[in-house]
Amino acid sequence: MLNMLPTDSYRVYILVVPLSILLLAVPLWIYSGPGPGFAALVVAAFCFFVISSLVRKVVKAREQECLLDLQLIQSQKLAAVGELSAGIAHEINNPLAIIAQEVEWARHQLQAEKPDGKSLAELKDSLDEITRQVDRCREVTHGILDFARKRDPLVQSTEINKLVEDMAKLVEREVSHEGICVIRQYEKDLPPALTDPPLLRQIVLNLLNNAAYAVGQNGTISVETRMPDNGKIEIEISDTGCGIPKEDLNRIFDPFFTTKPPGKGTGLGLSLCHSIVIRLGGTIAVQSEQGKGSAFTVRLPLEYNSHKSR
Amino acid sequence: MNIAKPKVLIVDDEQDFLETIVKRLLKRQVDATGVDSGREAVRILQEQSFDVVILDVRMPGMDGIETLMEIKKRSPLTEVIMLTGHGSIQLGVKGMQLGAFDYVIKPAEFDELLEKVNQAAERKMLHEERVRKS
Amino acid sequence: MSARPKVLIVDDEERFRTTLHKLLAVRKIDAAHVGSAKEAFSEIANNDYDVILLDVKMPEMDGIQALGRIKRENPQIEVIILTGHASVDAAIEIMKLGGYEYMLKPCAIDEVVGKIESAWERKLIRGGKTMDANS
Repeated sequence: MLNMLPTDSYRVYILVVPLSILLLAVPLWIYSGPGPGFAALVVAAFCFFVISSLVRKVVKAREQECLLDLQLIQSQKLAAVGELSAGIAHEINNPLAIIAQEVEWARHQLQAEKPDGKSLAELKDSLDEITRQVDRCREVTHGILDFARKRDPLVQSTEINKLVEDMAKLVEREVSHEGICVIRQYEKDLPPALTDPPLLRQIVLNLLNNAAYAVGQNGTISVETRMPDNGKIEIEISDTGCGIPKEDLNRIFDPFFTTKPPGKGTGLGLSLCHSIVIRLGGTIAVQSEQGKGSAFTVRLPLEYNSHKSR
Repeated sequence: MNIAKPKVLIVDDEQDFLETIVKRLLKRQVDATGVDSGREAVRILQEQSFDVVILDVRMPGMDGIETLMEIKKRSPLTEVIMLTGHGSIQLGVKGMQLGAFDYVIKPAEFDELLEKVNQAAERKMLHEERVRKS
Repeated sequence: MSARPKVLIVDDEERFRTTLHKLLAVRKIDAAHVGSAKEAFSEIANNDYDVILLDVKMPEMDGIQALGRIKRENPQIEVIILTGHASVDAAIEIMKLGGYEYMLKPCAIDEVVGKIESAWERKLIRGGKTMDANS
């Protein structure tokens, strides 16, 4: 409980007991003589020393705790950066390796005695591949930059159902060709939320994109909004796609984790969603069964509170 | 929250659409200007500042995404609403990643577009306030 | 016994494998290539390989596990690990399991060829033969 006190209050506590005893000492001295008065003085002094040393210990312990907290956050950050760097290095090194080889092969073509149609075609193919790999690297670096951009949410009054429906319409346009239907179930009379609209759009679009990829062809994507209890909104995006294997479930939000073949997707989508959701003061959870489908649920506070989220 | 008179730039290579939108926006107290290419958009942004840009995704020459990147580079606080006739999810994801405010499918209901313009203008204002305070 | 090493490339990036195969062919190194550990084991069971170039990050089975199994079942084959990201722990693990070398992508083709040849040399020496063009 003392942890809650600002430093000035400590002084009050240190002084209040000894002072009151001191105040008692005066009348005591007057009425009962120097003996009891002096005893009271001694008791007052004793109390002062005991309480002040106790308070000093509490303050020190609290400072230590703060320091440990900061160190923990810092080491967690460093660990995260380390993990991220390893992932980044890998995602960039592979395209670079391909580029290096294509350049080597192109040089070989140019060394031919009589560069013919075939070598020119090979040369062109190598250059095309280099372009593809450069694009791949760009996707990774842009994805990382987006990740790193700690955009503090800019809060605006937002109609959640409308926002989600806008994104659903966008996705529906494209997936209807693949025989995927988009089902909506919006909570009626959902009050406007105080949150960051473009950040929320990113989350919803990312989840819808994943759902579309998981289904591929002929299936369903469901979009639902709910208000399970006052002050919280839930957005659920589920699909009848391939689902996520059990052993991958706890890695699904890790940066660079992807089940897509190399070059197809950076593996940053869900980790970005996760980081944005946290910034908005919410949570994201996944339920999935391989072969049946997945459901991602985003829970957000109705009113974004900058003090409550990191 | 309605911003008094938002300054909006519309970028679309479809002449008919461009003219119609500019006209309708002007009628609704929006200071609207239209250009028909990404290059023109970048050029005009060097001379004037805009609150909101409505930007078509697929244009010949400098496409929507390239234009979006240029806009965000030169005036990061200008909010951009992407317009797409094709509903490409990938372009949507890319655009949002690059900082687009919203995505609208063509044909867009005018009132809806206007509402989004207002929301985008509001965001620009909030952003500017925050920058001023820091 | 051929005069040039027989190499197997195991990497899930198709373009990487195919171009590497072409670059090695120009240097008279005959290299087959597969995209997963599973296919690699099947290849090794049916053919003789001197050196294997093995990627670490692959679907289904990671390179280090594959290395362990290859060395257990075919201890004479030399394995060079090619990886996209460096890790001291991984490097130590690889050497302990009997890997010949650990190379970080991207690596120059001459370097790769050099390592293949020295790995092959080690294989021959361990097998009691010397590298002789006529053998």
